[in-house]
Amino acid sequence: MIRRGFQVAARLGHHRGLLGDPLILIFPAQFSRFLPEKTDLKDDALPDASWCLDMLSLDQEFLEKTKSSGWIKLPSFKGKTQPNGAVSGPCPPFSGCDTAHLSPDKGDCRIFTRCIQVEGQGFEYVIFFQPSKKKSVCLFQPGPYLEGPPGFTHGGSLAAMMDETFSKTAFLAGEGLFTLSFNIRFKNLIPMSSLVVMDIEVEKIEDQKLYMSCIAHSRDQQFTPTHPSLAGVFLQLQLEEESPQ
Amino acid sequence: MLRSCAKLLRTLGAVRGPPGGRRLPGSEPRPALRLFSSEEVILRDYSVPNPSWNKDLRLLFDQFMKKCEDSSWKRLPSYKRIPAEKIQDFKTHLLDPKLMKEEQMSQTQLFTRSFDDGLGFEYVMFYSDVEKRMVCLFQGGPYLEGPPGFVHGGAIATMIDTTIGMCALMAGGVVVTANLNINYKRPIPLCSAVMINSQLDKVEGRKFFVSCNVQSADEKTLYSEATSIFIKPNPAKSLT
Repeated sequence: MIRRGFQVAARLGHHRGLLGDPLILIFPAQFSRFLPEKTDLKDDALPDASWCLDMLSLDQEFLEKTKSSGWIKLPSFKGKTQPNGAVSGPCPPFSGCDTAHLSPDKGDCRIFTRCIQVEGQGFEYVIFFQPSKKKSVCLFQPGPYLEGPPGFTHGGSLAAMMDETFSKTAFLAGEGLFTLSFNIRFKNLIPMSSLVVMDIEVEKIEDQKLYMSCIAHSRDQQFTPTHPSLAGVFLQLQLEEESPQ
Repeated sequence: MLRSCAKLLRTLGAVRGPPGGRRLPGSEPRPALRLFSSEEVILRDYSVPNPSWNKDLRLLFDQFMKKCEDSSWKRLPSYKRIPAEKIQDFKTHLLDPKLMKEEQMSQTQLFTRSFDDGLGFEYVMFYSDVEKRMVCLFQGGPYLEGPPGFVHGGAIATMIDTTIGMCALMAGGVVVTANLNINYKRPIPLCSAVMINSQLDKVEGRKFFVSCNVQSADEKTLYSEATSIFIKPNPAKSLT
């Protein structure tokens, strides 16, 4: 009951933050892709029963910042939101996917970090973006289906979460679309279902490339069981005008 | 309990169902269906062809199976969960046992095997001890999407990490990734078959240097290149 209230409050806070945010006027094209007219799709970036206490409280902290300090929460609709905000659907014909024999809700493409829809088992995450400073924060809780070494998170799932956050940040900061290169240094193993906080910054933009860095750490930075750092470079491409949906 | 039964039946449907298809929800189970224990489900070897494998992947698989005939190459089996004896191995080498929670262990599953057939990572690995090469044949399904119609950069990173990790593991036993550097040259279309070719370059003390490239099935397109360093942990020092 309390959790539901929590969720409803979080959602309202999110909308108020966006509508009241003057910065949305500066980047209307990019943000409108993230806020489709139809909102009957479920936003996966909302708290659920699997979120640990640390994640819930940090989520609240950042939601407060969306009201006061220009941060924006990025919604994530039922595994289908593309980095550029467009909603995914059936696999494009050129991809060669033979999904005809699967039922419609299974046959569509899904954004990788929302591939496992079972609550708490896969990627539980929410991303907040600060347009004026070109910074993002991702709160990430890896579930039991992301195992690598026994009891710990698969390095690839962490790389996937970083790549996803980088790509959303790159798009919002400068229309970046494709990852060009990616370097990750793992310092410690990450236990299953613990909270990972990723701080991402755009270091520079030059020659149509966005250079970003990220540090992933535990909530209390003094004790850092998780400290991979990563640099990503994204290719900036001019987007074609999309026809209105 | 009910959920795991449903999961068992779904997996059985995939293994025993009509070729290229799944049982439709609501259809009667076949009368010959035995209820397998969950142990057997976990022991299913995923590194063999299933109906979701495309033509290129099957051709490559056959090519490499031929190479296995003279034992210069061998196919590595792959399971949803790491077998119990390997977990023990890992524990003794690496861990502070206080951090291992027993209940969590039983619910977890290997990330790259957390998908139904054809939807996520379809792959098989072949190893040559003589050449110290690990080749992974990989087909990325619709749940690995990044840019529309292409495989997510993170999914590619996952497969590269898995492949070169296995290469380092075969050479040096239990190791963990220390550094991974990937250059993406071209996006990989979803559901296409690719070959990840990895090679142990050198060993310096406890460091293993492994590199790889990702190519199309016909070897004409280079999708990505990667270099990495793996470390054999110091038994005296905790990793967490």
